[in-house]
Amino acid sequence: MMGIDLGVVSAVFRKDMRQYLGNPTGYVFLTLFIATTAAAAFLQDGFFARNLADLAELNAMMPAILMFFVPAITMGAWAEERRGGTDELLLTMPVRDVEVVLGKYLGVLGMYAISLAFSLSNVGVLMYLGDPDTGLMASTYLGYLLMGALFCAIGLVASMLTKNATVAFILGALGCAGLVFAGTQPWASGLLGAALVGAAAALTTFALTNKGSAAGIGGLVGGLAATFAWLVAGRGSETATETETATEAGAEAATEVGADALRDGNSFADLFDALSVTDHVASFGEGVVRLGDVLYFAGGIAVLLYLASFLLGRRHW
Amino acid sequence: MSEKDSPYRTPSDRPVTIRADRLSKIYGQFAALHDVSFEVRKGTVAAFLGPNGAGKSTTMKILTGFSSPTSGRAEVLGIDPSDADTRIELARRLGYLPESGPLYRDMTPQESLEFVASIRKLDGSAKRIDDVVSRCAIGEVLHKPIDKLSKGFRQRVGMAQALLHDPEVLILDEPTSGLDPLQIREVRALIRELGQEKTILLSTHILQEVEAVADDVVFVYNGKIVFAGSKDELLESGSIEDRFYDLTEGKKQTNTKKGAA
Repeated sequence: MMGIDLGVVSAVFRKDMRQYLGNPTGYVFLTLFIATTAAAAFLQDGFFARNLADLAELNAMMPAILMFFVPAITMGAWAEERRGGTDELLLTMPVRDVEVVLGKYLGVLGMYAISLAFSLSNVGVLMYLGDPDTGLMASTYLGYLLMGALFCAIGLVASMLTKNATVAFILGALGCAGLVFAGTQPWASGLLGAALVGAAAALTTFALTNKGSAAGIGGLVGGLAATFAWLVAGRGSETATETETATEAGAEAATEVGADALRDGNSFADLFDALSVTDHVASFGEGVVRLGDVLYFAGGIAVLLYLASFLLGRRHW
Repeated sequence: MSEKDSPYRTPSDRPVTIRADRLSKIYGQFAALHDVSFEVRKGTVAAFLGPNGAGKSTTMKILTGFSSPTSGRAEVLGIDPSDADTRIELARRLGYLPESGPLYRDMTPQESLEFVASIRKLDGSAKRIDDVVSRCAIGEVLHKPIDKLSKGFRQRVGMAQALLHDPEVLILDEPTSGLDPLQIREVRALIRELGQEKTILLSTHILQEVEAVADDVVFVYNGKIVFAGSKDELLESGSIEDRFYDLTEGKKQTNTKKGAA
């Protein structure tokens, strides 16, 4: 593949930005976003009880807020093009798939960045009430920006999967929820792991056979195998290493295996705890910018955008 | 059947601009196209004729590089449209009006044309836009949202977009569908005028359209080519309507007989 034509990226980006800001939905969205973040930051007992000019209350809520707001921006990004048939118009012009994906991604990211800029009003409130630390505010907002940027990439992939914007929203929200809950809830890490292994199996099968149907079966098999590893084997290895009594009681335990896997200490689920967005964004809210966290977001975005251009090529199958 | 002894060859010494060589497209178990071969020569207007669902749009999507064939090879202006890298060069020289003329409905025709000009990086885009606006007669609706336009105007906006870069080849998927008789007349006149200088492949299921605009006819039915040649050849043995039924219903009956036997 040759270089990327930034002129095309910019043309697609500008078209989408105009679309977002050229209709009332965009402004309703902005208003709701400002109201929700303000409510999450200040309309809480904790904020006044702690008597500190910071956004700790908002930090705790932000992953949950973004997991709904970002998919609402991204849901139409590609689904609408497909529904209206304009994808055919766009992709038969002199453009590369990757340029369209980048333009689309920058479009949704631009809309999110504008929303986030307006929500700086929350910092304004803090400055009115007290004297917030500038560095802390900057790192907090950098964290919000990176988390939203990752969610934008998830939402864009979801929008590539369907013609229906509502389905795209649900898929996007589920994808974001997987990362939000992973690490905080053991069942979420396991589910996320099973879904990721399934998706990886589907892509591998597709790469090997070049058939959509085979990829579906491969994905299903991979997902089921991962679920088995999570619910049965994951529990088993932990049993073996931890206590002998548990091994002796293995027969009885087998019936409860599923339930046990949902508790702590599952070796399969633990693998995927590291993907938790909540953990990676936490230090930004404390004023610490870690290279590892930045790489987590940047890497996630890169992988997802690559996946998005791969999905765009699906029309050739 | 090798390419050389293919009966589907336009009797002409002009160079071939569009070539479909044994194209097949299979979705799951369903063969949308089966061994479709035909040629369109430079400077001709070819009608891609066939009933709805015959495989016309599938073929056009392959020729424009939107989709790829399961097997076989397409070539437009000597370029393989399913090759991701060379396709860009083809897209610069090809104008395409997809089926039912999709447009960005919340834009005005002016914005839409500006968007296409910016993607295509056209020099002197304002002049080019003026030119296609007058050619397609959309001046009076230039600043109204496309969503509010009549189907006839929308189709003409789609034509204007396809013509904006002055392409050598035009592929038009049912350019007159949904238009009223007056608009159909205008679009056909425009196609005839464009046909003086460009190679055009247009799909249709309307027989009069073939008589009105086409030099050559490629007739596709159930994903297979049943006739390809000049319009006069098609009409040699009776009216176009009779030929249409011979080539479609007639086929069906022989197929059923074969199935029964």
